[in-house]
Amino acid sequence: MLDRELKKGSAELLILSLVDDRPRHGYDIGQLIELRSRGVLRFNVASLYPLLYRLEGRGWIRGRWVERAGQRRRRYYRITPTGRKVLAAQRDGWQEFVGAINRVTGIAHA
Amino acid sequence: MDGRNSSVQSIALPELHMPDFKEEIQKRVAALQLSPTREVEIVEELSQHLDDQYEQSLSRGATEEEAYGAALTGLAESDLLARELKRVERRVQHEPLTLGNERTNLLGDLSQDLRYGMRMLLKNPGFTIVAIIALALGIGSNTAIFSVVNTVLLRPLPYKDPDRLVMVWEDNSKQGFPRDTPAAANYIDWRDQNHVFEGMAAMVEISFNLTSAGEPERIDGHRVSANLCSLLSVEPQLGRAFLPEEDIPGANQVVIMSHGLWQRRFGADPAIIGKPINLNGESFTVVGVMPRGFQFPTRADQLWIPIAFDAKEAGQRGNHYLEVIARLKPGITLQRAQAEMTTIAGRLEQQYPKTNASIGAVVTPLHEQVVGDIKPALLILLGAVAFVLLIACANVANLLLARAAVRQKEIALRLAVGASRSRLMRQFLTESVLLSVFGGAVGLFLSLAGLDLLKRFIPPNISHAEAATIDAKVLSFTVLVSLVTGLIFGIAPATQAANFNLNDTLKESGRDPGSGGNRIRGLLVISEVAVSFVLLIGAGLLINSFMRLRNVDPGFRPEKLLTMKIVLPEVRYPDRATRSAFYTELIRQVETVPGVKSAAVATSLPLTDTGNSIGISIEGRPDPGPDHVPIVITRIVSSRYFETMGIPLLKGRVFTEQDRAESTGVVVVSEITARRLWPGEDPIGKRISGWSTDPQRKWVQIIGVVKDVRQFGLAADPKLQIYLPYEQARFFEPRALIVRTDVDPMSLATMVRRTVWEIDKDQPVSDISSMEEIVSQSVARQRFSTLLLGVFASLALLLAAVGIYGVMSYSVAQRTHEIGIRIALGAQRSDVLKMTVGEGLRLVSTGLVIGLAGALILTRLMSSLLFGVSANDPTTFITISVILVSVAVLASYVPALRATRVDPMFALRYQ
Repeated sequence: MLDRELKKGSAELLILSLVDDRPRHGYDIGQLIELRSRGVLRFNVASLYPLLYRLEGRGWIRGRWVERAGQRRRRYYRITPTGRKVLAAQRDGWQEFVGAINRVTGIAHA
Repeated sequence: MDGRNSSVQSIALPELHMPDFKEEIQKRVAALQLSPTREVEIVEELSQHLDDQYEQSLSRGATEEEAYGAALTGLAESDLLARELKRVERRVQHEPLTLGNERTNLLGDLSQDLRYGMRMLLKNPGFTIVAIIALALGIGSNTAIFSVVNTVLLRPLPYKDPDRLVMVWEDNSKQGFPRDTPAAANYIDWRDQNHVFEGMAAMVEISFNLTSAGEPERIDGHRVSANLCSLLSVEPQLGRAFLPEEDIPGANQVVIMSHGLWQRRFGADPAIIGKPINLNGESFTVVGVMPRGFQFPTRADQLWIPIAFDAKEAGQRGNHYLEVIARLKPGITLQRAQAEMTTIAGRLEQQYPKTNASIGAVVTPLHEQVVGDIKPALLILLGAVAFVLLIACANVANLLLARAAVRQKEIALRLAVGASRSRLMRQFLTESVLLSVFGGAVGLFLSLAGLDLLKRFIPPNISHAEAATIDAKVLSFTVLVSLVTGLIFGIAPATQAANFNLNDTLKESGRDPGSGGNRIRGLLVISEVAVSFVLLIGAGLLINSFMRLRNVDPGFRPEKLLTMKIVLPEVRYPDRATRSAFYTELIRQVETVPGVKSAAVATSLPLTDTGNSIGISIEGRPDPGPDHVPIVITRIVSSRYFETMGIPLLKGRVFTEQDRAESTGVVVVSEITARRLWPGEDPIGKRISGWSTDPQRKWVQIIGVVKDVRQFGLAADPKLQIYLPYEQARFFEPRALIVRTDVDPMSLATMVRRTVWEIDKDQPVSDISSMEEIVSQSVARQRFSTLLLGVFASLALLLAAVGIYGVMSYSVAQRTHEIGIRIALGAQRSDVLKMTVGEGLRLVSTGLVIGLAGALILTRLMSSLLFGVSANDPTTFITISVILVSVAVLASYVPALRATRVDPMFALRYQ
C-alpha cells in the first residue's frame, strides 16, 4: 500500500485516466484501480465517492444516471473537455515528477 | 435486479438475504443535512457499490457474514465518509444556483413565491378571510392610535425651532400651585433680568363681544405681548404683526384675527386690513390676519390685541394671571435657563418679601404644556393596541400551523422534487407576509374609518388632535408593522415546515403531524390568554374608575339645567348699577318663559374652570401672614342660584332679594369651608373679609352653609368656597346664566336667547349647553381612555376566544380516533366532555397565572388614570378572571361537544 499522501495526490489522475476512454460507474472505477495496480492501490467507498463528487464539482467529470433494460440504474461518469485538458497537464506533470524522483534516487532508467 | 444474477436468483436466492446498506450510509450522511434529493442519490449510488462488493465476495466463495463484513470495511472509519463528503458536497449542492446570476434567482424565487402564495391564499378563502380580518383589526387599531400619537405627541409644534420654546411659571408649591400663572411685575422683572432667553412674551385671556358685521358674537382671544409673533416665528398671512409702540396703553386699539374668523365673519375680505371692527363696544383697527391652522395658545383663540400693561398692572405682584412663553437662546439648555430663573426668583423674593415670599420660577418645554396629561393615556392605548396585534398574530400563527399540518403532502412533494429547506421556509414566510400585507391594507381602511370615530371622543382640549391623519409617517409605520407582523406569526409555521421529516411522513400515513406543533399551539393560546387578561384588567380598572367618577355627587343636580355665557361689555355697562339692572331684568324675563322654573346668574359654572380665588381674613383672628392665608374660591351669584342649581342648604339661609348693595354684606360658605375654618364652631354670624390688614376693611357676615360643589372636575375634591350676592360684589362679574327647566333644557335655548336680545339686541350669547353636557365634558378625557381601552380589550377577548376555539377544535379533530376508542371502551360522553374542556382550561389557567403577574406589574403604570380604585383592585381582578374563564370554557365547550358526538365506529374506520 502506498503512502496515503501520495495516493491522494495521484488519485485525481487515476480517476481521470480511467474515465478518459469511456464512461464508467463508481464500482467499476474502484475495481479497475485495484485490478490494474495489482492490489497496490485500493479505494474504499468512503474516499472514492467524495473524490468523484469533488471532480464533478470542479467540472472535470460529469456523472449521469443511465438505465439499461433489466438492470438497475447506475451513475456513469464521463470526462469533460475541461477534464481532458487537466488530465493532459497532470499526466505531463506526473511524468516529470516520476522522472525527477527516479533521476534523483537512481532507481531506473526507463 | 442485476441481469447477471437473475439466473442464480432462483437457486441461491442471495438477494433475499441481501443486507440493506442504505441505512448504514444514511446514518453516516444524515448529519450533513444535504438536500433530500441529493441525499437520496448519494445513498443509492454508494449502497449499489456495497451491493456489488457483497455479491462479488459471495461469488468468490465468502460466507454471507464475511461478505457483509468485507463490504462494510469501506465504511469502517465511522466519520470518514461524512468528513470527506462535507468538503465537497456544499459546492455540488449550490451549483445549480451559481449557474445564473444569484440576484436574479433570488428575485425570481420571490416572484415565484408570491405567485404561489397568492394561489394558496385564493384556494382557501375561508382561512384567508379569517386571517386577514384578525390582522386588519390588529393593524388598523395600531394605525389609528399611532396616527393620534403621531400628531399629538410626536409631530413637532408648527413653529420654528419648537424645541427652544418654553413656558415660564411661578412656582408657588407652598400654596399648592407648583405651576402658577405669573404676576405682571414678576414677568417684567424676569424678562428684563434674564440672559438665557431670546425673547419672552406674556398673554392673558380676554373675551370679546364682536358687534360688527352681523349678529353679536362672543369670541375668545388673548392680550399678547407685541413680540409674540416673532417669538413663535409665525408671520401673519395678511397685514403685519404688532409693533412695539402698540404695546402701550392708548396705542393698543389694534387687533389681529384668525384665518377662520376672517373667512367666516368677514368673507375673507383682503381689504380688511386697516378697517375698524367693534369689540366690547370699542373700535379696533385690524392690522393682521394669521395663517390658516394657527392656534395659539388654544384652538379657541380667534382675536389677539396687544397686552399693553398700564402702570398699575405693571407694578402689581399679588394677582397671578399671566401665561408666559419664552424662546431659549441657541445653545442654552433647559437646565441652564431653570438655574438662571431660580436665581432671579430668589432675588425677587428678597426684594419683595411681602408678595414674593416662597415664589420661585419653573421653566417647562412648551411641547409638554401642549401635550399635557393626555400622554400617559395615549401611551397606554398604544401599548394596548400592540397587545391586540400580538393576539391577532398568535391567532394567525395558529391558523397557519394547523394549515401546515394539512399541507404536509404538499411539503413532502416539494421536498422530494428538490426544494431546499431554506427555500421552503422562505416560501412559508412569503405567504405569511403576503397575508399580513393584505391585513395591513384592509387595516388601513379600517383605521381611516376608526380615526373619524376616534376624533369624536378625543377630548376637545387636546391641541392639534383634530389634525390627526394618515400621513407618510403613519403609512410607513403601518407598512413596517405589517411586515414585522408577517414575520412574527410566520416564523413558527415556517420553522415547522422546514423541520419537516420526509421519512416520517413517508413511513406513517401522516396522521399525526407531530407533538411539536401541538406544543406551539398550546403556547400560543397561553400567551393569548395572558395578554388579553392584562388588557381586560386595564380596561376593567378604567371602567370601574369611570363608573365611580360618574357616580360622584357633583354637589348639585345637573339634570334639566340650561346654561349660557353672557359677558357684558364694559363700555356699554360701565357701572354696577347698569349691570345689576341688566341681570335683574334678564332673570325676571327668563323666568316668565314657559317651561322655566327658575333662573340665576353666576361668575362661573362648576366643573368648568378655576373660578376666582381670593385670600380671606377672619374677624377676631390674627393675620396668618401671606403663606397661610386661607384661599377660597369665590362665586358671585344671584339670589336664586342655589335653588336653580339644586345645591342643598345645610344651615342658615341663602340670599334673598333683600340682600342689596346698600344692605349688610352677607356671604354663604360651603360645608368644607365651615369645617376647616370654624372647626367645632357654628360659622353663622361670623364675619370675614378679603385678605387685608386695613382696619377700615369691609366685613361680610356668614348667613348660611351649603353643600360642597366639585369645582375642578368630578375627580378633584371640593376646595374651600364662598358665595357672594352679585349686587354686593365689587370685583368679579357674573358671566353665566343658569336656567332650571321643566322640559328638555336645550328645547328652551332659542327662547332664552331671544329674551336676552329683547333686553339688549347687541348682547352676544355663547356656549349654550345643558349642564349635563358640561358634566359629561368634564370627564371627556376619562371617557376617551375608558372607551378605547374597553373596545381594545373586548377585541382582545374576542380574538383570544377565537384562538382557543380554533386550537380546541383542531385538537378534537386530531384526537377523533382516540376519543372514538375511549367511547368504544365505555367512556361516558360526560367524561369526554370533561377531558376536552379540561384540556382547554389547563391552557387558559396557565395563561391566566402569567397574565396575572403581568397585570400586577403593568397596571401600576396606569395608576394616574385611575379614580377611587387601586391598581390591583381585587374585585376587578376576580371579575375579569371569571369573565375570561367563562369565555374560555365556552370556546372549548363547542369543540368538546363535537367530541362527544364522535361515532366510535366511524372514528375507528376513519384512520
